[in-house]
Amino acid sequence: MSAPLQVYEPFKAGLPPLIQYWKSLWSRRTFISEYSRSELREQHFDSAFGQLWLVLNPLLLSAVYFLLIIIIGGSSDSTRYAHLTATLFLFYLIANSLTGGVKSITAGQRLILNTAFPRIMLPISAVVIAVFKFLPTLVIFVIIRSVLGLPFSWQMLWAFPVLLIAMLLALGLAITISCINVYFRDIASFLPYLTRTLLYLSPILYEASSLKPQLKAIEVLNPLFPILDSWSRAVVHGQAPHTSSLLAGLAWAIGVFLIGTYFFLSREREFAVRL
Amino acid sequence: MPSVSNAHKTNEIAVSVRGLGLTYTTAIDRRPTLKARVKSLGRGSKHTRVIRALDNVNLDVEYGQVLGVIGTNGAGKSSMMRVIAGIIPPSQGRIEVFGSVSTLLALGVGFNPSMSGRDNVFLGGLAAGMSRDEIESHFQEIADFSELGEAIDAPMRTYSSGMFSRLAFSVAATVRPDILIVDEALSTGDAHFKEKSLNRIKELRSDDRALILVSHAMATLRDVCNDVAWLHKGKLVQRGAPDATIDAYQEFLQVGKSAAIDEDV
Repeated sequence: MSAPLQVYEPFKAGLPPLIQYWKSLWSRRTFISEYSRSELREQHFDSAFGQLWLVLNPLLLSAVYFLLIIIIGGSSDSTRYAHLTATLFLFYLIANSLTGGVKSITAGQRLILNTAFPRIMLPISAVVIAVFKFLPTLVIFVIIRSVLGLPFSWQMLWAFPVLLIAMLLALGLAITISCINVYFRDIASFLPYLTRTLLYLSPILYEASSLKPQLKAIEVLNPLFPILDSWSRAVVHGQAPHTSSLLAGLAWAIGVFLIGTYFFLSREREFAVRL
Repeated sequence: MPSVSNAHKTNEIAVSVRGLGLTYTTAIDRRPTLKARVKSLGRGSKHTRVIRALDNVNLDVEYGQVLGVIGTNGAGKSSMMRVIAGIIPPSQGRIEVFGSVSTLLALGVGFNPSMSGRDNVFLGGLAAGMSRDEIESHFQEIADFSELGEAIDAPMRTYSSGMFSRLAFSVAATVRPDILIVDEALSTGDAHFKEKSLNRIKELRSDDRALILVSHAMATLRDVCNDVAWLHKGKLVQRGAPDATIDAYQEFLQVGKSAAIDEDV
């Protein structure tokens, strides 16, 4: 018998066979790139004006928040503005992954009901789209940084591992929330409150070092805190991030990713009957 | 491995279903929300329902067979098709599928309505595990068969439901799978397209292919199939020659050869 043989059996321990799952995910990687490309094209982000719009939004936001900082007091020098933009842009990578990921499963209903494929492809695509939206803002930041005349240093290369950690966290969050949305379809409407809260709990409007000692708890409980702190140190101040922050960020990212993926895979079987 | 398709011989097993059971939990609400759940806290009301869709079904489909699947609503027909297609893993039993499967289940393509028909065909194909080149080579045929013309590049939200199902049928029937599963998708579209798709199904009947058709159109099944399985409440009731099985089913329904059941294609 030369034909490809597919065997379907009940899952053991609630999980699909992982090696097979990974293989079929890997063989469909073109879907992820194609999907992100069509999605970006459909939102016109492949044109120059589309990209301009993409950077305009966080740029305007950073201007508004900078205004806020000046009014409520606090240092308002060029480093402060660079910190605000850099962290806000990275924050938007994670926020966009969440907003894109939350409906990825429910919106893929037709595909899920009709085709056998690893469902985790859909939230992964949402994160890939968020990363593509993030890249032009990175260019803008480099320009802003040059205009503000901040010194460049080799320590800025720490930005890459920090970015990878942030992307892993974004992926874990997107996978988790896409799965929750199957069970509670109104999660998407709570999401703006969640992201807004995260924004204020993260070292964006303030610097991590200026956090009151009484509020140290949010540093421990917010997964974004160590990541944004490390990011700011690397790309704004040109210093190596604290090892403890890096490790805390990495631990959060791996933890969220593993728990979210386990949750997703153990529930994935049900998606076709829950949609 | 796709190159080995069409290497199947008649009477070789295409699909083997052994002791298949399927139980699943589904939400009672059409759109379960956290808000509704919180509001009904402490009421002790149930939010989910356990459905026993299939119970110890044994079924073999051979190459060269055109199997019709009949049964009342909720008999488990669609569930069984989804299990064979690998969309829902079974709760008990073992399913072996020898060959490539293409499915045309109730909904069809078009998972992102804001994208064009072309993009949706590509994405659907890639998700199903086809390569870009494979889809590329079939695309013109799909577009021609669907008769959508320039609408193929318009967003799918502008499509009528007939256009939707025409495109879906074209995709499933054009990729020439070893095993084609069609779930109640023949009765969509206008009279012209119905006839066209029925003719296509007849064309696809060949010794090296297995077709599984779920339908309520008994006349069509008598015409097309060479084997019929009757499911009732998740169990296989009867399997055999189309006329005998369909007659038994219709007797069971006590409607006999009424027009309502024979009319639809």
